[in-house]
Amino acid sequence: MADEKEPRPVIPKGEPYIKTDVINPTFMMQYDACTRCGECDKWCPVLDAKDGDRKYSPMDKISRFRTFMGQSYGLKAKIFGPKRLDEDDIQDFADAFFHCSTCGVCASVCPAGINTVDMYEATRQQLVMRDNGPYGKTVMFPKLIGEYRNPYLKDQKQRLDWIPDDVEIAEEADVAYFAGCTAGFNQQVLGVCTARVLNHLNVPFIYLGEEETCCSSAIIRTGQPHKGDIPYINAKHNVEALEARGVKKVMFACAGCYRVATIDWPKQLGRKPNFEVVHVADLLADLIQQGKIEWKKSFDNKIITYHDPCHLGRHCGVYETPRIVLDNLPGLKFVEMDRIKELQRCCGAGGGVKAGISDLALDIASERIRDAQAINADILSSCCPFCRRNIGDGRDNVYDQQGSTNFDLRDNPENAMQVEDMIVLVAELMGLSTKIKSQEEEDKKAGVEAAAPKHLKDL
Amino acid sequence: MSDFSYYSGIPSFYMMIGIAMIAILIFLVGMYLNMQKWGGGSASHFLKIFLKSINHEKLGHHKRQSLVSTIILDILLQRRILRRSPFRWVMHMLIFVGWIGMFIFSMIFAVFEVLHEIGIGQINLVETRHSLDFGNEVLGYMLLIGLVIAIARRLAISDVVKRTQMFDWVLVLGTLIITITGFMAEGFRPDAIAGAWTFLGNDVEIAKFLALFHVAISLLFCIAYIPYSKYMHMLAAPMVILVNGGGE
Repeated sequence: MADEKEPRPVIPKGEPYIKTDVINPTFMMQYDACTRCGECDKWCPVLDAKDGDRKYSPMDKISRFRTFMGQSYGLKAKIFGPKRLDEDDIQDFADAFFHCSTCGVCASVCPAGINTVDMYEATRQQLVMRDNGPYGKTVMFPKLIGEYRNPYLKDQKQRLDWIPDDVEIAEEADVAYFAGCTAGFNQQVLGVCTARVLNHLNVPFIYLGEEETCCSSAIIRTGQPHKGDIPYINAKHNVEALEARGVKKVMFACAGCYRVATIDWPKQLGRKPNFEVVHVADLLADLIQQGKIEWKKSFDNKIITYHDPCHLGRHCGVYETPRIVLDNLPGLKFVEMDRIKELQRCCGAGGGVKAGISDLALDIASERIRDAQAINADILSSCCPFCRRNIGDGRDNVYDQQGSTNFDLRDNPENAMQVEDMIVLVAELMGLSTKIKSQEEEDKKAGVEAAAPKHLKDL
Repeated sequence: MSDFSYYSGIPSFYMMIGIAMIAILIFLVGMYLNMQKWGGGSASHFLKIFLKSINHEKLGHHKRQSLVSTIILDILLQRRILRRSPFRWVMHMLIFVGWIGMFIFSMIFAVFEVLHEIGIGQINLVETRHSLDFGNEVLGYMLLIGLVIAIARRLAISDVVKRTQMFDWVLVLGTLIITITGFMAEGFRPDAIAGAWTFLGNDVEIAKFLALFHVAISLLFCIAYIPYSKYMHMLAAPMVILVNGGGE
């Protein structure tokens, strides 16, 4: 990365090479709490994908930064002045530091209870501020989200384009659906299915539409919140717009947005919003337990497993409700994979890795697919558009690798493992259409009648 | 025997006090520098944020548990280590309890020595020291066994060997030297208790030297060196657990 940039300004003698002004004092302390026990290394999906290359060890990243800090602010630095650090060494460290999906499994297993996710994000910001990051294309996030208010270069007016004619959106309701950019623009099936399921369950909801702006997760996770203060601006805008509509609950189907609303919005604004943040899995699990959901379709004795999205599970503690939903879907046997809940193996998409270091994301996702293959899963489900996309890519990658020997798959592609979001499966089994608006319009033009999915049977 | 009136065995009480003062001063300077580093140049800013963070509401998954639960379950009983590896927990608890226990015993006796020296109360230092002998012996062996396990792990388990640095070795080897010199100083004493390292013989001069050496390196390595080494985790890790609200 360093060679692509302008030469850095010379740091005056006596000045520390790395400043710490955006790193919370308690995060700084956490660097000194590391006992180098190596527990984080055993679980880190990045280190695993990098075949144990110590450069990517979370423990060694902490040690390297601690060394930089000692050289800049330690006793020797106080007496003789901060050590002149090698810029290439700092850049090498920064590059390794951005090779992290901030999944937080290291925090789950750390005996010292180090909150690595927050600590890493703050350190990333400090590195970005001295031009050592972010990594790859993720540098574009603030510009894109700042200018377009979404990362997909879409006009705000197109925020409503995903809504099919059959979906009813209320003018006033206690519940709001926060679709997010990915469900609104890029994986519209998720938005469509969520809206149809809510309609089907008689849960009236409002939608901000053109007023909704990106949650800015991608900017925060990659250490760029200071660039234009976009996360704060967007948090303020979204929260105030939702509060102005008088909603009591805001429903999310995207784990990334849910994480931001639960943790980052209160941090950004210094207060909790005047509404409850709810994931659609919570609502569905509640209705299932009350016996209020009637299924119309069924799978034909398939095995389903669940991948906990980091942002929903480890970061926000939502582990059980998606399992309740999936365990109750007809015709499916729910089986757990290895490494679940707080010890879950990340899919590799988070922390800017999918956008910035796609080959790493693919390698990590491929491992997750192998976990699912080990239990013979027919369906790998999740509650996050980024997990859905990346694990889907991982599946294709694994099948490419196995293709020459896996004759069953080559001859029977319908036997391929299905990677699908929970809300899409729920919509299908409720007998609802999962077609997005543009598909329906094409079908209409072609005069094609909507047909029931072949892989499901009627109940 | 008069030379061994004092627990430490050091001929000059003032020498021990002097070394202790230097060690504490170096420790305090180091802690101040650390807090200054953590606080972005201001130790008081760090302390302010730290104290505020202990009661701050947690967002997301981990809800803050009570302070008492955090101190007992997470800091003293170290359940996060137990959950990951019972073997490592046993090793760490042996070192932790042995180290902290002996530190507390040493502090208790140091107080008696000071009181005796300035003439407050009728204190029989020899009897007081003997009353602590058994406890010191048990704690010393706990520490020794824990350190032997730690060293064996770092030499025998390939994953651990791969990630071990000098930073890690300094801590275990330094503590091992202190532990062994403690046993040796005790063993050479004329009034050593049975079961201690009496097989070493009975030599007052060696005992004096070893006692001085043991106390000096204990104070310098186990107190003064804390803020400048991996020992720092002994203070920083509990502080981090307090800030992050504890829990498994």
